[in-house]
Amino acid sequence: MTSATFHGPSNSTTSNGIVAQLAGTLIPLKTTLETSKDVKLLNVFITAVPLKKASGTLSLIRQLIPRDGGYDLQHLRRFAKPDLIPSAIRNSYFASSAESSDTELIFLIVAVASIIPKDILLDSLQKDRVEGPVVLVEGQIPFNAPTSAEQAKAWTNEYWPTVYKKSNPFGPHPAIVARAQAEIEGNAGKWLSLAWTVAAEAKTARTGEGVGVVIVERSEQGERCLAVAGDARWDNWPRDCGGNGNVTAHAAMRAIAMVTAKLPNAIPVTETDIFRSQPLFSLETDVEEPVNKDGYLCHELEIYCTHEPCVMCAMAIVHSRFGKIVFEKRMDEGGITADLNDKNDGLGHGLWWRRELNWTMLGWEFRRKGDGNDGNECRLPWDVDNGLNA
Amino acid sequence: MSEDEKQTHLTYMREALAMAELALQTSETPVGCIIQHPTHGTIGRGMNATNRTRNGTMHAEFIAINQILAPPSQYTPDILKECTLYVTVEPCIMCASLLRQFGIKKVFFGASNEKFGGTGGVLDVHLGNGRGIGGKEGDYEVSGGWLREEAIVMLRRFYVQENERAPEPRKKAERVLKLEVEPLGELSGNGVD
Ligand SMILES: [Zn+2]
Ligand SMILES: [Zn+2]
Repeated sequence: MTSATFHGPSNSTTSNGIVAQLAGTLIPLKTTLETSKDVKLLNVFITAVPLKKASGTLSLIRQLIPRDGGYDLQHLRRFAKPDLIPSAIRNSYFASSAESSDTELIFLIVAVASIIPKDILLDSLQKDRVEGPVVLVEGQIPFNAPTSAEQAKAWTNEYWPTVYKKSNPFGPHPAIVARAQAEIEGNAGKWLSLAWTVAAEAKTARTGEGVGVVIVERSEQGERCLAVAGDARWDNWPRDCGGNGNVTAHAAMRAIAMVTAKLPNAIPVTETDIFRSQPLFSLETDVEEPVNKDGYLCHELEIYCTHEPCVMCAMAIVHSRFGKIVFEKRMDEGGITADLNDKNDGLGHGLWWRRELNWTMLGWEFRRKGDGNDGNECRLPWDVDNGLNA
Repeated sequence: MSEDEKQTHLTYMREALAMAELALQTSETPVGCIIQHPTHGTIGRGMNATNRTRNGTMHAEFIAINQILAPPSQYTPDILKECTLYVTVEPCIMCASLLRQFGIKKVFFGASNEKFGGTGGVLDVHLGNGRGIGGKEGDYEVSGGWLREEAIVMLRRFYVQENERAPEPRKKAERVLKLEVEPLGELSGNGVD
């Protein structure tokens, strides 16, 4: 931990009744690919050979179909003992095989079914066979590597023995997430607390909804708070025309505007504008200069949000190339998360990590200590309508 | 759609293209838009300003809405509910959500945005905030493919221009301007006819 600033007592309370350092845990977010319920499956041919013939059969297959026709099967065991494979495959094999029961057999994946006709495969394997006809059964295997040990176990039971290699084709590598989490967990509760405090000011002043955001730069010199912004959608804005307020003045948009306005050669859009990039409260002025003086957008900065940002803000955070996002309260219209919330009412867009968007970051949901599944909402300083675009 | 209506939309789209051209001249990604009101006419214009402001969120749509609502303004925010946006490139996910929250009535765009598009390219924010079901409050109509080729040629001119500006210019072959545009693909098939 490299924090050079602030180690407030965890039970000290601000004037708004918000503790200065929230206690809680960080839960890594899931990506859209990780939460997809569909397991992409491949049809394969499976056979069994006497144990002593195993390596010979495999080299024959390698000759016939070099590199498995381009399919990556590294996450699957090539060979598996009969008692380790799903009984459906085993039964289907023994139903057509005349193998004597005293030969010790081992099962193996021969080939992906789409790349070689079954009769050609049978012919080729038969030439290598001393006695009895070759039996090929069709089975299904997961196309992608599993993202957890539990998933590997479930797939082993359902499809074919699968290995979890701590890699993640559908999201950031677990080791990178773990390292980043160790870095931020010391002060995440402090930055979130600050975000709640400015949210309280916005709410009390009626300049916006009770939503707040803090932007932090992390360097060898510790953590620096570059922006503190409360929601300002109702600041100098008519409430009587039935809209959603000043959409451009959501807390995250303001915080981004505050940071980028200080970048070298930044020119404001117009003399007067609607973007609310000027501080509204003293708390919003109490920020530091970045260590990196010629930053680009919000490249690799950290953003701490009281509420899951709406689709607009979530994409703004992606466009601004943040490195990490932490938020506390999930929202029905939130753009960050991929898995649906408790009430199953989220959008599932998962914008924090989608390869096609050309920029991915790391992300966590903050769970306050002492909150069970039931107590989560009532422990927050106040309740914001879940349908709000935060 | 009548030929007259079609010509009207094309005229507005040319106004949007003029904004993109302006962006190109100032080294901004050439995306331009106009906001059109049925009785007040063109009430806002915008072009990408991410380079000038150093703020990656300052897309043409934000600039145009700012132009309409920044003080002193003769309009209240609810005017956008009566307006149509003409933009040279499909609104990104961020802007599609901005438009949804401000209650825009209809969007006409030129080229599809397969990387960031929020009205069909990647997500359908205009339909139930991307839930895939329409009929929700805030939903808006979208029509793509208007002066698509012109919008794409503009983007290509930008990339050539920026490459030449870069300290180490890329290989000559890469700098040759590709002006022919592939025919409208299936994905962006909601075209001009
Ligand atoms: Zn927002
Ligand atoms: Zn945009």
